[in-house]
Amino acid sequence: MAGNGNARRDSTGDLRLENLSKIFPEREGQGEVRAVNDVSLTISAGEFVTLLGPSGCGKTTTLRLIAGFELPTSGRILLDGKDISMQPPNKRDMSLVFQSYALFPHMTVFDNIAYGLRTAGMPRAQVQAKVNEALAQMDLEGLGERRPNELSGGQQQRVALARSLVMEPRVLLFDEPLSNLDAKLRVQMRSEIRRLQRRLNITSVYVTHDQIEAMAMSDRIVVMNAGRIEQIGTPQEVYRYPQSRFVADFIGRANFIETRVEAVDGEQVTATVLGRTVHVPMEPLPKVNDPLVAVLRPESLYITDDTAGYPAVIEQTMYLGAETEYIVQAEGQALTVIESGLSALRLFDEGQTVGLSFEDEAIHFLPQTESVAV
Amino acid sequence: MTAISPRRYVDQFRRIFQDPILAISLIVVTVFLLLAVVLPILAMIGESTSPEGRPLFAHYLGTSTYQTIISNTVVMGLVVATVGTALGFLFAYVQVKVKAPFKRFMHIVALIPIISPPFAVATATIVLFGRNGLISKGIFGVRYNIYGLHGLTLVLALSYFTVVYLNLKGMMQALDPALEEAATNLGASKWRIFRTVTVPMLIPGLLSSFLLLFVESIADLGNPLVMGGNYEVLSTRIYISVIGLYDTTAAAVFSVILLVPSLTVFIVQRYWIGRMSVVSVTGKPTGTPQLITNRWVRWPLFGLTMFITLLIILIYATIFIGAFTRVVGVNNDFTLDHFDFVINGYGSAAMTDTTTLAAVATPLAGLLGMLLAFLVVRKEFLGRSALDFAGMLGIAVPGTILGIGFLLVFNNPIQLTLPFGGAEPLTITLIPKLTGGRAILGGALAIVIVYIVRSVPAALRAGVAALTQIDPAIEEASISLGADNARTFRKITLPLIRPAFLSGLIYAFARSMTSLSAIVFLTTPQTKIMTHQILNEVENGRFGNAFAYCVILILIVLVAISILYLTVGSTTGAERTLEGGA
Repeated sequence: MAGNGNARRDSTGDLRLENLSKIFPEREGQGEVRAVNDVSLTISAGEFVTLLGPSGCGKTTTLRLIAGFELPTSGRILLDGKDISMQPPNKRDMSLVFQSYALFPHMTVFDNIAYGLRTAGMPRAQVQAKVNEALAQMDLEGLGERRPNELSGGQQQRVALARSLVMEPRVLLFDEPLSNLDAKLRVQMRSEIRRLQRRLNITSVYVTHDQIEAMAMSDRIVVMNAGRIEQIGTPQEVYRYPQSRFVADFIGRANFIETRVEAVDGEQVTATVLGRTVHVPMEPLPKVNDPLVAVLRPESLYITDDTAGYPAVIEQTMYLGAETEYIVQAEGQALTVIESGLSALRLFDEGQTVGLSFEDEAIHFLPQTESVAV
Repeated sequence: MTAISPRRYVDQFRRIFQDPILAISLIVVTVFLLLAVVLPILAMIGESTSPEGRPLFAHYLGTSTYQTIISNTVVMGLVVATVGTALGFLFAYVQVKVKAPFKRFMHIVALIPIISPPFAVATATIVLFGRNGLISKGIFGVRYNIYGLHGLTLVLALSYFTVVYLNLKGMMQALDPALEEAATNLGASKWRIFRTVTVPMLIPGLLSSFLLLFVESIADLGNPLVMGGNYEVLSTRIYISVIGLYDTTAAAVFSVILLVPSLTVFIVQRYWIGRMSVVSVTGKPTGTPQLITNRWVRWPLFGLTMFITLLIILIYATIFIGAFTRVVGVNNDFTLDHFDFVINGYGSAAMTDTTTLAAVATPLAGLLGMLLAFLVVRKEFLGRSALDFAGMLGIAVPGTILGIGFLLVFNNPIQLTLPFGGAEPLTITLIPKLTGGRAILGGALAIVIVYIVRSVPAALRAGVAALTQIDPAIEEASISLGADNARTFRKITLPLIRPAFLSGLIYAFARSMTSLSAIVFLTTPQTKIMTHQILNEVENGRFGNAFAYCVILILIVLVAISILYLTVGSTTGAERTLEGGA
């Protein structure tokens, strides 16, 4: 997966987390909090991996463990095969881009970007050249003498990025760097970051709670919940084949329909969903009569007005322009349906009885083991 | 504690010791505080509980003479705290909430007491209102007895109210005007707002001001010596025990008795009032406060404030004029003899010694304060809050007590004797003799250390306040870019807390130049200190010399403040706002 860009640097930056755990004492009282719980993860050189999850899931702590701002309670962190778990953060060949940018307010933009290079003892002329190159690369020419508080939010973000990139670290770490930007700039910056990362081929670990951002940028997504990894996979894998109800619900939106295993044949499971018998591959295979949950994305459901589909009543219609969102009542539960493209041209009325249908391939089964609460 | 705790503390120290400079800083700071603050206090307590000391407690607490001294101390503390807090509140309220003229003028006058030796006010007050006072006898024709509680209250309140004024002014300015607007909007009158919104919001500030003044006044030595008359308090009793009776054990027992209320107040202040603050100091007010324009409120408040302002001016004018007058009120001829005495004569050694020692102590105290603040706010380790506490002890403990502690610990060299088998045991001097005759550097080292100990608390608090305003990510960014803790502190932290550093330095210098109680037992014939000399001159009735000392001392402090402003700078460079468009 790595190295799909025109690699400019050696493919170092192989990052491995082995059974990483971090326990914090509870703020008041005697208890403890397992912020990170037995996390193992291998990130190959040049890969862009996103840690995704709700707040408090341990993603930021994991990032801070990698950066070295926290020490693991147990487990190891290896960079290119070398154990760096106990190395101080300034000795790790990594650079962190902060959510608040953390620009040095008393220094100019130029001095901010030059800071790391000067710390490393790079000769003046070379610092000058490198910083100017970075300024040009990030569209910051002419702003070198400004102070951070004289820049717009987007410009500050670029300075923060330039300051880290200019170090040419083996690993780049991002802690929700775009969350302080407005929506439009955020979309623009995320493709810019991704483009730069591909070009420079630097291993990157990116923390976000925004699933769209994660989908748009990542080679692989690590979905975290309550300190544990729920699932690791490409954006397509986590979206199409979520391994838990949590993942299905957190990445995109999902309808959950409960059913039972009717037959198991080879690698396929037979069950009835919305009145239709479907055969879907599943792994590991359940036993006959086991409870199942069918995951159906809102966009894989269709509404028709013939009676061929499963009968449902439109409860609410929301016209959103590019698409139309319906909440329909079927099988005693509310389902969300999104119609887009040509099918969105036709609006169904609230209260109307319609037929629901779907493609068999859109169904994904989960074992009904975990509690319903998400 | 939890099962994981020991492991956690080991981790924290392992983290700190990964960075040698950080580890050394932590060790140096800890050892310094242990030796210069904790050890002297413990030695003093140890001395008071020695076989000779223990019976004295029962004796002092059971005899009516000493009971009077103790109750005098407490009464004086309470009265001064009440009057001083009221004064500070009055000045702050007029400054922030009342529409009045000459505000800037009153503000500057209110700051003057900070930079003058405390008993300068006392001396001038005697000249003005004493038995032969220029005003009491000269104008009203009475031989007024200013000595005693009322005189003490006047001079102590005037000497110490500035801190209260600045605290309350800051809090009042930070009060969100929207709160008062909301109260007005709900139909409350100005008086009702004052009672139900303004004052309750300021209660933590008022309480902590009250306690601060209480501690400051019961710890004060110079004023009770000069103004007390027959009104004897614990600090003067301690002084007499050491200087007059050479009885350090008795002094230690009195010190412990004095230490109890001081430390109690400090702990109450720190752990109770600190938590009840309702005023958030951060964030900008959302509107402009409505000033009081009602003339029945406005003019009486203004009149009272202006009266006190003029009284302060009168007192300092007396000091200034007295320095150039042969004997004020008796022989009003102009003279430069007093200045000749201080600058060229007997007093010049004190002038240069004090300035030199204060100049040595100031940067050390400032840096130590910032370093302590950095460790306390930014690092996690076992004993962090103990370190903070020890750092603050220098001011929580009355100066006389610290002085006695130094005498007890450092009057002999601290030596380590190693039994190396042979006939001659090897003796290593760990700490040389610091106080008394034949002390190292003529006792100057001990005085510098005391100056530092007394100045660190203010720098520490300023540093902590500044650091908590700075996003820790900024320092982490520096570390993430490869800088170690030392470089981060030098290049990022220190420049960003420069205003706090500056105020720490100014405070350290002013405090050192004007402190008396802590060094009064530590001066030696080789090392003369101005405040001590002033005290001698006052006690011998040579007010002219005392005033000349005061004027020169104030000038030195002012010059030092200017130099500090110019060299350290009062801004971080981050304040520059958008100019010329973006």
